[in-house]
Amino acid sequence: METLAKLQVLSGAARYDASCASSGCRREGNPYSTGNTSQSGICHSWSDDGRCISLLKILLSNDCIYDCAYCVNRSSNPVERASFEAREVVDLTMEFYRRNYIEGLFLSSAVMKSPDQTMERMISVVETLRTEERFRGYIHLKIIPGSSPELVRKAGLHADRISVNIELPSHESLKRLAPQKEKFSILEPMSLIGKEITESLVERRASRKAPKFAPAGQSTQMIVGASPESDFQILRLSEGLYRKMNLKRVYYSAFVPVNHDNRLPVLAAPPLLREHRLYQADWLLRFYGFTATEILSDDMPNLDESFDPKTAWALRHPDFYPVEINRADYATLLRVPGIGVTSARRIIAARRFSVITPEGLRKIGVVMKRAKYFITCSGRPFEQMERSPLLLRNRLLLGDGGEVTPAAPPKQLVLPGLFA
Amino acid sequence: MGRYLYDGTSEGLLSAVAHILAGEKDVERVTLVERENTLFEEGVYLATDTAAAEEFFSRLQNLASEAVYTFYYFTMAEKGGLETSMLRYLALALQHGSKVNGYLTHPSVKEIVTVSRKAGRELHRMKGLLRFEKLQDGAYLARMEPDNNIIHPLSLHFSKRLRAEDWFIYDVRRRTAARWHRGSLTLGLIEQFTAPALSEEEKAVQALWKTFFGTIAIPERRNPRLQKSNMPMKYWKYLTEKQG
Repeated sequence: METLAKLQVLSGAARYDASCASSGCRREGNPYSTGNTSQSGICHSWSDDGRCISLLKILLSNDCIYDCAYCVNRSSNPVERASFEAREVVDLTMEFYRRNYIEGLFLSSAVMKSPDQTMERMISVVETLRTEERFRGYIHLKIIPGSSPELVRKAGLHADRISVNIELPSHESLKRLAPQKEKFSILEPMSLIGKEITESLVERRASRKAPKFAPAGQSTQMIVGASPESDFQILRLSEGLYRKMNLKRVYYSAFVPVNHDNRLPVLAAPPLLREHRLYQADWLLRFYGFTATEILSDDMPNLDESFDPKTAWALRHPDFYPVEINRADYATLLRVPGIGVTSARRIIAARRFSVITPEGLRKIGVVMKRAKYFITCSGRPFEQMERSPLLLRNRLLLGDGGEVTPAAPPKQLVLPGLFA
Repeated sequence: MGRYLYDGTSEGLLSAVAHILAGEKDVERVTLVERENTLFEEGVYLATDTAAAEEFFSRLQNLASEAVYTFYYFTMAEKGGLETSMLRYLALALQHGSKVNGYLTHPSVKEIVTVSRKAGRELHRMKGLLRFEKLQDGAYLARMEPDNNIIHPLSLHFSKRLRAEDWFIYDVRRRTAARWHRGSLTLGLIEQFTAPALSEEEKAVQALWKTFFGTIAIPERRNPRLQKSNMPMKYWKYLTEKQG
């Protein structure tokens, strides 16, 4: 098979991996090598689904011995199979990089003969890139669950970021939909990676020559909507991953049905809004000082479809507001709908110079459409109104001129008989 | 109430600002505009004093290094009519240091920081969207038409990244070019540009990239609006993946 045909098969098979980050590590180039990495990451293009393209995202092979229900590459699917030679991936990466198409390589693979055999082949691609081609651009390497600790360590020494996909939000779902993948074969490498990253940071503090281990950190991904877990379960899982395993990112991927399987739900469309709300909640966990139990609870296990999770929290906690813009601290400002990390920082910076007026708030870039219901400026509220939660809900949904109508009931997921 | 004129260059702007700040007490009552050379133009013309501009620049570097970046990006925007705001911004920078960019509630600071941030954003964007093509002699060529005059910092970025290659970046609208040849960077004007012949394998590599670009999108998630908002159509002209 020609490289072009292989690329078609193996990039098509890789597109369900959500991560495309190229940020989080800065490596200078040198006169004899090609490439460097940028701390902020660089997006090089945006595909027709609007997602950014930063890395050459491909599988080494889609020829899989596993038969996971949700996966397009599962062994029982009659799809065209292809595998790259190491040289082909290396040449593609270098040719694309020199033309500034990409920031680097994101290499994943189906499990060919065994996890170790697959992992070894993936590492040899990356080794060739780093040593023969002296490539110093970004590399994200997927870890195949069940590969040996030595290979995981080797991967972390060559790659900027490594990731193990957690695939599904619970042990039960994993057992049902991916029977050949064991929970421990996923979690074990994750905690090993977490440990290695921490150790390498300690060693590098002692000596700058100590090798870097996955300097851009570890991430993971799970499919949302293929199994019955609630958003609350998912967020608690993510919270645990961030806190205990020190992950940089958890990616959520709206379930796109690619197979017919009676273990899978039948959906009219991928649950994109749910994925979006989960990302918003994820941001609240990482940058806004929220905990999972503040965002959701057992009584309210799923995110509101009509409001972003911060606005939803604000509506449930009317006592917290109004927040005084000219006095509130950073953590309090962050709880105001319409004020994000950037505006909160700007508010604090601008307060050093003068009292902030409503006009000033607009200049700073606060989204007044949402914020105005929750703040005062030098003691003066923006909206002279009764702050009844129902009225507030409707104003936020419909704007100031809106009629008071009950919110539409949230859309239910359509699940097949198995879950009913 | 002073009204001053300068010659429209960034050096002239800096030397004019230095002169005004040395003499005027209240910059909020001063205006500074580019000279238009009309017969009855009102205002005091301040001739460019290179030494004064340099001295002011190094003073700024010491007192407010952030403001130096802001000024640099501001000049890339090539936006006229904001000299008075720049004057007031720089006066505040000398007074408050690098923190000045946080004074967004001040109209002049807001204006200058916004323009400069926009140029910085386009620079970052072009670091991703620039496309090189391999030429017959083995060198690479990239063409672009950015809104801001970013060729200098952009070529510095690639001089660190693609050090082993020889390449050109050509700003089609401004007719300026950056050339990286055997490890050294030169910038210049190109009077007459003729597109050189591409190398033989170039079309094949471009076909690979177009294939990748097409298959990496998830059909069920098609979202052209999001694509255009992230990657405005004005940049598509030179994007390999968006050609026929």
